Amino acid sequence: MAHSPMTDHDDAYDPTPDNSELEAHLQTKNMVINLGPSHPAMHGTVRMRVELDGEILAKVDTEIGFLHRGFQKSCESVTWTQVIPYTDRLNYVSALMNNFGYLNAVEKLMGIEIPERAKYIRVIGAELHRIADHLTATGALGLELGAFAAFLYGIEARELVADRVTELTGARLTTNFGRIGGCNRDLPPGWIEKTIKTLDRTIELADEVGGLLTRNRIFTDRCRGTGVITTEDALDHGFTGPCLRACGVNYDIRKAKPYWVYDRMKFDVPLGKNGDNLDRYLCRVEEIKQSVSIVRQALEQIPPGPVILDDWRIVLPPKEEVYSTIEGVMAHFKLVMEGVQVPVGEVYDSTEAANGELGWYLRSNGSGRPYKVHVRAPGFHILSGVGKMIEGRMLADLIPTFDTINMIGGEVEQ
Amino acid sequence: MSTWALDQIQQHLPEALASRYHDRTGAEWAVVKRESIALVAAALKEKLGFKLFISMDSVDRLELPENTPRFEVVYFLFNIERNEHVRLKVLVPEDDCNVPTIRFVYQGANWAERLSWDFYGIHFTGHGDMRRILLYEEFKGHPLRKDYGLRERQPLIPERPIKDIFRGPGTNGTSA
Amino acid sequence: MSDEQKPVAPPAAPPGPPAKAPPKNPGMVTFTVDGREVIAKPGTNMVDAAKTVGVEIPFYCYHPRLSIAANCRMCLVEASNSPKLVPACQTAIGEGVAIKTATPKVKESQRAVMEFLLLNHPVDCAICDQAGECKLQDYYMRHDHKPSRLERVGGEGTSGMKVLRNKRKIIGPNVVLDQERCVLCTRCVRFMDEVAKEPQLGVFNRGSHEVIDVHPKYGALDNNYSGNVVDICPVGALLSRDFRFRARVWFLSAAPTVCTGCSNGCSVSADFMGQDVYRYRPRENEAINKSWMCDQGRPTYKAFHASRLLMPVIGKGADAREATNSEAVKYAAMKLKPLAGSVAFAVAPTVSNEDLMASFAFARDVLQSKTVYVTGRAPGAGDNFLMKADKNPNRKGLTWIAKGFGFELKTFADFTAALDKNAIKALYLVGSDVPEDAEVFAKRLAGVELVVAAAMHETPVTGAAHVQLPASSHIEDEGTFTQEAGITQRVRRAFPPRGESWPAWKWAVELGKELGGAAVYGTSREVFRTLAPQVAELKDYAWDKETPMNVKGQGNQTLPAGADGRPPGWREQGVPRIRGI
Repeated sequence: MAHSPMTDHDDAYDPTPDNSELEAHLQTKNMVINLGPSHPAMHGTVRMRVELDGEILAKVDTEIGFLHRGFQKSCESVTWTQVIPYTDRLNYVSALMNNFGYLNAVEKLMGIEIPERAKYIRVIGAELHRIADHLTATGALGLELGAFAAFLYGIEARELVADRVTELTGARLTTNFGRIGGCNRDLPPGWIEKTIKTLDRTIELADEVGGLLTRNRIFTDRCRGTGVITTEDALDHGFTGPCLRACGVNYDIRKAKPYWVYDRMKFDVPLGKNGDNLDRYLCRVEEIKQSVSIVRQALEQIPPGPVILDDWRIVLPPKEEVYSTIEGVMAHFKLVMEGVQVPVGEVYDSTEAANGELGWYLRSNGSGRPYKVHVRAPGFHILSGVGKMIEGRMLADLIPTFDTINMIGGEVEQ
Repeated sequence: MSTWALDQIQQHLPEALASRYHDRTGAEWAVVKRESIALVAAALKEKLGFKLFISMDSVDRLELPENTPRFEVVYFLFNIERNEHVRLKVLVPEDDCNVPTIRFVYQGANWAERLSWDFYGIHFTGHGDMRRILLYEEFKGHPLRKDYGLRERQPLIPERPIKDIFRGPGTNGTSA
Repeated sequence: MSDEQKPVAPPAAPPGPPAKAPPKNPGMVTFTVDGREVIAKPGTNMVDAAKTVGVEIPFYCYHPRLSIAANCRMCLVEASNSPKLVPACQTAIGEGVAIKTATPKVKESQRAVMEFLLLNHPVDCAICDQAGECKLQDYYMRHDHKPSRLERVGGEGTSGMKVLRNKRKIIGPNVVLDQERCVLCTRCVRFMDEVAKEPQLGVFNRGSHEVIDVHPKYGALDNNYSGNVVDICPVGALLSRDFRFRARVWFLSAAPTVCTGCSNGCSVSADFMGQDVYRYRPRENEAINKSWMCDQGRPTYKAFHASRLLMPVIGKGADAREATNSEAVKYAAMKLKPLAGSVAFAVAPTVSNEDLMASFAFARDVLQSKTVYVTGRAPGAGDNFLMKADKNPNRKGLTWIAKGFGFELKTFADFTAALDKNAIKALYLVGSDVPEDAEVFAKRLAGVELVVAAAMHETPVTGAAHVQLPASSHIEDEGTFTQEAGITQRVRRAFPPRGESWPAWKWAVELGKELGGAAVYGTSREVFRTLAPQVAELKDYAWDKETPMNVKGQGNQTLPAGADGRPPGWREQGVPRIRGI
């Protein structure tokens, strides 16, 4: 019985063709081609130098660095608050999560606690951008496997979320929201009602996308059993987030070490079984629904109050004070020119971003500028495991794999 | 913060730990001796269940008050069952910039060590594939070092001939 | 039979105070600050003693070189031998006393003092030069970060009723006074009284109307040391008219250098941005200038920019044309070659030791000279404090180097005599300063066949030269200067040479190479290392280690310094400079 890619899913392929004696006189050589940095399937400029044996990837060499923008070095020459726009551009699809993750780490290093309302706003913002990120990932997965309509539904939902985020922060993508000590802006009036309507519509659209893809034979055949990674390898490489949960490991920082107000939210963490593309896709779809539920709960529970601390050593004074009192103008001056004085020390802190554990290792030398900002990008480690996932598989399996891991070039290459 | 992991290490591999301290936020850190980092990493992974490789990075201490040895390499590992992090630090002097690799203990360290080499110039002995990862090979210097000349310019390099991929039938310079 | 009255013993003296315990470290005072033990000589000020263990006590009116006023009350600390808070600057350190600087009582006192000082302080940060180096700003953020409680005049968002006084009152040729910003620490008054010895400033009126002003007897703050009050004023009350509104201090970085106004060679920091120097600030140097400098030396930084010779010029008068450096070197060498052996060598003691040594080596080995004519600046006024009559910064260095190289020093009078006799056919001139009128001297040079001048400025003297070689200043190269008491000081490089100028030593080396000399030096460090051993007094000088560029505390700037000590924003020469970037 001939091997068939359609029926055989779990065994590794045997690249040697059956009629080896017949073909022995053909001197074949593996072809090395470039899935170059500029390629529609290579999300955000990754180069894969693949050695092909027919359709089978004999060897995969991933090369990154085409989007390296010197994030760490830039952060070392600006103040702690000026790092926030840099963090926007790491995972540019879910910028709020980067902002808040970084601020969480700085606040932990300083040992300050932000007001309740600010915590709720951070949860809402983070979950909204998680929805946006997962929608983009699943939509793009559909797009690259040929389901253009699913992509459009996903993007429509994402546009609605982006509208809400624009109303909140002022920008669709690079939000620069949140400051050390809380959030710089409160929820605009009427925003909560609009967001609830957005969430309803998002659920409808996510269901559309799911309806088009999840039970689609072509889709599942391409995604099931492809891009498989064992739990061992996943942990070894440093997979976190939906990619790890698809292997069955129940690790979600929001549940393991709750931060902000996640301990007051009721939500489930979807787990997969096989660690293949289909499970990753299903995890993300389910997480969209869970995030919608979290946002609904947060919008209900959000208390009134200040959104940022009142301490002028950390937070800019209100403008009336800055323009009319010497204390205000001095505080403003020093905070802007010298930066918030973060005490000497180091911290490692992490939050659950859309792709996994977004970790921050910050080092301060006591001045208003960071000494070192290291971002543990979830995509970096997942991308390092992609080679393992698809070596020995067919070239066509590379495409859904690259989509489901949702590697965002900005965070991988800082 | 739990000190279980570091207590275990201290008990079973006492000569591997140089010192322990906790940082401002109360987290426990262990300064591991350079030569035993692979041993400690293996012990953490196999015996103590720290299977998740979180991250690894380096710090150049040139502008801090205590700046010898110059570099630090920090490791972060996680134990999912116990829900605990462990934070390790290795001090690396400038003139002998080598650290034994833990690539064969944790596969994720492969790229992370290449990153440290690329940005700091810290060589990982035994790695076998120590090349730059985010910057191009002809780049001069190690940019995240504090004495990297930000105002200077990199030399212009000639375009690399593409020899490593197949450009199509009949083209020259192909190789597998 | 009378009872013998025994003499009654006088009643026992009441017990006196307990004998003092002997000091822990004999000869020194041992006490604790915040739990840390400090061992200091008796007479050390408590503020300085606390600094040695890393405890910073805030202060405004205290200055280590002035008398103690203790009127700002910012340095109040808790002492174990007193029920009240004591001013740290005024209280003598006592054996075994425990000083605490971070208790709630002390913190409340610091906050209250700040609040009071700021009550009448104008909202001037945006227009005040002192922003970025202002003690009020620094201590406010550290010790009082609370909003103002002053009653507002017109409700929320308006200013409080502050006492109004004279603003931007020009009180002297160099200093402008803003009485509203003054916190009445009286540092300026004490300085003028004790250090400058001319009490031109005083405190007038009482209570809220207290102001600092010029004493009517003097009428203006025109003492030669008036610029120092700008340095010691902790707030923006006394500001330099010369520096006013020219730059924000956090864009400036500081290079340690030496003032070249006179032979005293006060240590200064040159604050620069890009390729421009904005001001000089005196640097602490116990041996030479303590923490002061004179007003005559302060504007000498302008010499780095004004009428600089930036491109080589070949030809004289009508045929003068600009050339490239290599062209100029070749031309000068070609002209010098036939005249070698009879080239006079004249040097001004205004250039650094490295320039002098390389020029002397060139003169001795290539030009085969044995005598050197000394030009330089004319002597001026001197006083008995810092300003010296000899206005040449490196005369001592010149004397030493001439001796070391075996040259005979000839005075300027000899020089003019020789010129008038037409005894000089060719001249290699280093430095364009001459002690007489430049025009007059230029006429003297008319009779010389070939004048090659390596100078910083375009003056009539260089105009009379056949080849003008642009020399860079000492701020653009590493070097040393020797002041008149024999102390050699290092100057550090701030930025690369402007225009096409090269250091004078480099011109000497290049000319030497063209003319077949063997000297090959790439940096001034090599010049020093190779040639200083020939000069007895310089050969043991620790050239590398002296006066390091302070990477961490770069001037007042808060931008981080790059690896070479300069902020990341300045540009290489030739690129348009956008202020502040």
